[in-house]
Amino acid sequence: MSPLVDRKVLYCESAPSGTIKLQIVPEIMSKEYQMRAAINQKLIEMGERERLKELLRAKLVECGWKDQLKAHCKDVIREKGLEHVTVEDLVTEVTPKGRALVPDSVKKELLQRIRAFLVQHAAL
Amino acid sequence: MKMEELSVSSLDNSKLEALAQDILSDLVEDACLGLCFEVHRAVKQGYFFLDDTDQESMRDFEIVDQPGLDVFGQVYNQWKNKECVCPNCSRSIAASRFAPHLEKCLGMGRNSSRIANRRIVTGNNTNNKSESDQEDNDDVNDNDWSYGAEKKAKKRKSDKNPNSPRRSKSFKHKSSTSSKTNQDNEAHAPPKDSYIASSRPVGMMGPRRRVENQESPRMLMKDDAFSQ
Repeated sequence: MSPLVDRKVLYCESAPSGTIKLQIVPEIMSKEYQMRAAINQKLIEMGERERLKELLRAKLVECGWKDQLKAHCKDVIREKGLEHVTVEDLVTEVTPKGRALVPDSVKKELLQRIRAFLVQHAAL
Repeated sequence: MKMEELSVSSLDNSKLEALAQDILSDLVEDACLGLCFEVHRAVKQGYFFLDDTDQESMRDFEIVDQPGLDVFGQVYNQWKNKECVCPNCSRSIAASRFAPHLEKCLGMGRNSSRIANRRIVTGNNTNNKSESDQEDNDDVNDNDWSYGAEKKAKKRKSDKNPNSPRRSKSFKHKSSTSSKTNQDNEAHAPPKDSYIASSRPVGMMGPRRRVENQESPRMLMKDDAFSQ
């Protein structure tokens, strides 16, 4: 966290024209951000993030999301040509559709688990 | 790590919800990325399109979903009501009973010898027996170890061979102490005990011998228990 504290010093509000105005987005300094980072760290340390990831993967396979998206990938590949497909192509094509296709029930269940984790491990 | 005075509990619900949503979207993005990497590797290694065949074969082998048919399009109870003609006795038998009938008819299989024997010994109208009777006989003959079956067998044996040295077989069940001769007789007798083998129709020697060998070790073991 120390780099953030250092950057705070570099923040200058006003500067004469011709000089570079350093503007650091204040959100990074906020306690909320720090708290979020701490939560994420805790999520990882306790292995809960891994478990959530596995749970999400399993549910997405069950509900057919993976197959749907794979079919979409096939279209993208046929369009771009088999030899010239790159990871970036796939990511840019697939991610927005993937986000949209997640069924509500899956979202609900995972949110429930995340909320339960947050409430249980408040502030330590 | 210093958290100062801020904690999750001090967050209002909307912020909590927003936080949970962010975590969820991170997880979903991880899943999407995972899929992209998997697909990309499959493409580059050349196994992505392996499960696609040409349209025509896919139509040929499509799953059939009609009533009365299985997934391959075959009628599944087609053979229920068909009748087959037995090559041995030239009778018309129902398909589901054909295999057991053939077993009895040709004199092969486990119990065919017993039934044939019994029929010969009792000397009755075997040709008029229905198939259900044959099945009943199987059940009775399966009682290798029951006293009743052996008694029946023994009775008939005594009728058949009044001069055979195996007369003393009747000692078998009475007591464990027995003379040496009796023991010898018992050693020999048991194989014949469980089924009637007194008179063997000439044409059926082979299979019966096979059956006999299978059963004799068992009978001998039982005998040991009795004769001490």
